[in-house]
Amino acid sequence: MTHVLDAPVVLAPRRRLGLRLPIAPWLYLAPALAVIGVWIYWPLVEAFILSFYQWNMLPTSTPRPVGLANYENLLTLPEMRIAVRNTVLYIAGLLPLSVVLPLAVAIVTQDLAGPLRNLYRSLIFVPMIVAPIVAAVLWRWLLAERNGLVNQALAALGFSDVAFLRDPDVALWTLVWITGWKLIGFSTLLLSAANASISPAYVEAARMDGATRWQIVRDIRLPLLSPTILLLTMMTILFGAQWSFVYINALTGGGPLKSTTNVFYLMWEYGFQSLSAGWSATAGVLTFAAFGLIALVCLTLMKRMAVYDE
Amino acid sequence: MTSDRWPLARLAVHGTMIVLAFVAIFPVYWMVVSSLKGDGDIYSSRLWPEHVTFEHYAYVLDAIPMLGILWNTTLMASATMLAQVLTGLLAAYALTRWRFRGSSLVHGLVALSWLVPFQVTMIPNYVLATRLGLLDSLAGLVVPNAAAAFAVLVLYNGMRGFPKEVVEAARMDGAGHWRILWQIVVPNLKAPLAALAVLAFISAWNEYFWPLLLIRRMDNAVVQIGLQMFMTQEGNQWGAMMAAATLSSLPILAVYMLLHRHVIDSFMRAGLR
Repeated sequence: MTHVLDAPVVLAPRRRLGLRLPIAPWLYLAPALAVIGVWIYWPLVEAFILSFYQWNMLPTSTPRPVGLANYENLLTLPEMRIAVRNTVLYIAGLLPLSVVLPLAVAIVTQDLAGPLRNLYRSLIFVPMIVAPIVAAVLWRWLLAERNGLVNQALAALGFSDVAFLRDPDVALWTLVWITGWKLIGFSTLLLSAANASISPAYVEAARMDGATRWQIVRDIRLPLLSPTILLLTMMTILFGAQWSFVYINALTGGGPLKSTTNVFYLMWEYGFQSLSAGWSATAGVLTFAAFGLIALVCLTLMKRMAVYDE
Repeated sequence: MTSDRWPLARLAVHGTMIVLAFVAIFPVYWMVVSSLKGDGDIYSSRLWPEHVTFEHYAYVLDAIPMLGILWNTTLMASATMLAQVLTGLLAAYALTRWRFRGSSLVHGLVALSWLVPFQVTMIPNYVLATRLGLLDSLAGLVVPNAAAAFAVLVLYNGMRGFPKEVVEAARMDGAGHWRILWQIVVPNLKAPLAALAVLAFISAWNEYFWPLLLIRRMDNAVVQIGLQMFMTQEGNQWGAMMAAATLSSLPILAVYMLLHRHVIDSFMRAGLR
């Protein structure tokens, strides 16, 4: 029980008792590891195994091994191609809302002070705590055809109705907007906080050297904000398409004409609507592998690109 | 800065923030206002109801067990929060207090588990929950979320900065690890613990996917699923829909109004790591 961090004494009794395993740390870790092991890692292994089987999820039927057939099918399926393309569109569409716009706002409002600042902060953060299904319901009402407020406003301006959720060209962007609406406030606050923590001495020194406002932003603020910018970008890339799942499921069901589906929705459809568990698992394994690779690249880039104020 | 000398820039800054705040808050405002409008009034773009009416609320409370659903959600979110804080505390303590074979592997596996999308593991999870008889139960919602990578990592970061000398001194006095954790470490972790509790509660409250798989009956529903079921049933009954949405947001909005500065701080503290 003397395995306190950095204490060299630890080695002596251990050697004498042979391979004595330290039990205490594992006892403390057990609850968390049990939950994560049973509900995340073991299912991950099972999903991988399941990807080589065909199974309709009925408890009475046994999964049938099919080798690599699921992979071959999925990789040639047009449905999968659409889903992958849409996943990329979701992420690309979210980045301006979760990174670019908040960054601009954070820089423009850097010297906002006083009680108004707290009021703004509290208000722009509200969408973050609103439940996703509530966001889905209230945007469905705002964007409703004919009677929705947005279409009424468009009519007043002389435009015709937009079928925000039924037009294949618009539906995906509608869902991107709803997903992004929940994120803008969070990103803005995070970037503002990072911006506010940049030492005024740098800015002052640059100004003494005759730097313009834009040069200060480009050469001082952006590099020093890079860890936060990269973090938000990485989170959007890794989780953006997952965040839109609830809106797809509650508002469009992947339609019209598959225009709003993405890989995460496809897995759900295969698993719980068409009951082809093998396909769902295969799509899951492929998605996880792809995003794992992306995460690796992101982390490497982050280490290389981020500038820290030492 | 320039804007102090140049009022127009100051105006532009406030203008930007007002637009942003409007975009953020107006949909929520419109939800509440619509829920208070009568059927004759609901399709008008009037920003305030002609006659305030609670008929939609009465309808919702009558049509679905809304209060039971809110109670279920409160229970589920509180239990999830407590479990995550507890398992997180124990795991973070083990990872910061001892250096043992495999500790960095454990840390890595915990962090990595955050990256596994739920849709990838949903079928095995669903099968397991069915076998354990957790289908359509609140316990089934809590158990798989009883530990979270996020909780472990937040508390790990909080504990890492804790001075070793204090722990050493306590050990000299003969305190065991259990006592050190609860009497010395925990009281000094108030800020990250509060932040984590707020975050865990809100994210459990807003959890959608797992309840979608598990919950079948309205009586056992949590707000996310109750609302989803209501939406499929009532279609375009906008007044009733907005009343249901407002009711299911009230508790969380009330918490936010009371603790908004604290909630924001917790989200940022978590995000900044």
